[in-house]
Amino acid sequence: MKQKEFLATVLPVKDKLYRLAKRLLVSQEEAEDAVQEVILKLWKGKNRMKDYKNPEAFAMTMTKNYCLDRLKSKQASNLKIVHSNYQNDENLQKKVEVNDGVQLVFEIMETLPEKQRMVLQLRDVEQFEFHEISEMTDMNETAIRVNLSRARKAVRDQLLKQYNYGVS
Amino acid sequence: MELAKISALLEKYFEGNTTLAEETQLKEFFTRGEVPPNLVQYKPLFEGFAIAREEKLSKQIALPKEKDTSSFWKWGIAASFVLLLGISSAFFFGNTGLSQEEQEALAAYNNAKETMLLLSENLNKGASKVTYFEEFSENASTLQVINQFNETTSKYLK
Repeated sequence: MKQKEFLATVLPVKDKLYRLAKRLLVSQEEAEDAVQEVILKLWKGKNRMKDYKNPEAFAMTMTKNYCLDRLKSKQASNLKIVHSNYQNDENLQKKVEVNDGVQLVFEIMETLPEKQRMVLQLRDVEQFEFHEISEMTDMNETAIRVNLSRARKAVRDQLLKQYNYGVS
Repeated sequence: MELAKISALLEKYFEGNTTLAEETQLKEFFTRGEVPPNLVQYKPLFEGFAIAREEKLSKQIALPKEKDTSSFWKWGIAASFVLLLGISSAFFFGNTGLSQEEQEALAAYNNAKETMLLLSENLNKGASKVTYFEEFSENASTLQVINQFNETTSKYLK
């Protein structure tokens, strides 16, 4: 497989990979590194790529695994991602006109457990079917639905709390 | 869309039981048009997802420069084929399907045959010399007779 051919398969997916990486790692810089790393790995194993029936799901799985590994090693070395939260806020404000409510939604999402964040990202942002999410995350559909429901409710509850607080 | 239907969908949505199509309906309801005040608190949620989907990777992906590995492989394969052909042909033509022992025996046989031939050739050569010799001795004997004759004649002449 030539580089051109490879990029034609991978580039349409790169933004999805980036958004998943960013949802998990929070920091823009780290998410960029993650995508670069994953695409490089895919490039090295490009001859095997034909064997995967769904290259997109495969790339998403690799990204997920890479990010979870990063988070694990970060936890192990006790490094907190405080600085990237700040960077993230700044970045979002620069990039898109975000109203306070939406900004709040993003902040709440950052506080969710990894699994919930991941499932919420794949379903509500990327709009994948449950069987696709299952393929990407190694979770069964029931587990996905449970995590999704918890994530949605958590965001809703936090949002309502802030909303009521803001109103009153 | 009727509010009752939206409320029902919302309930389903939070339980994780909506389909993608139903979720699209919800997203459209909350991101387009007027949202009634009793549901307005859900607006940022669906707006947030729509905005999150717009985010793109701004950094360029860098791949290592492409060395023409494919032609390298082709040449490598071609070279190894030639090598293989060379080796196998040497085996094929040198070895007529005999084991090493048989080959050695054959070589010894050929050697012996050659020596025998040489020997017999020389023997024949020698044998022909012998016939010459016989002729010579025959002639010699006649010579002796002549000598004797000469002797006797000389005696008479004396």
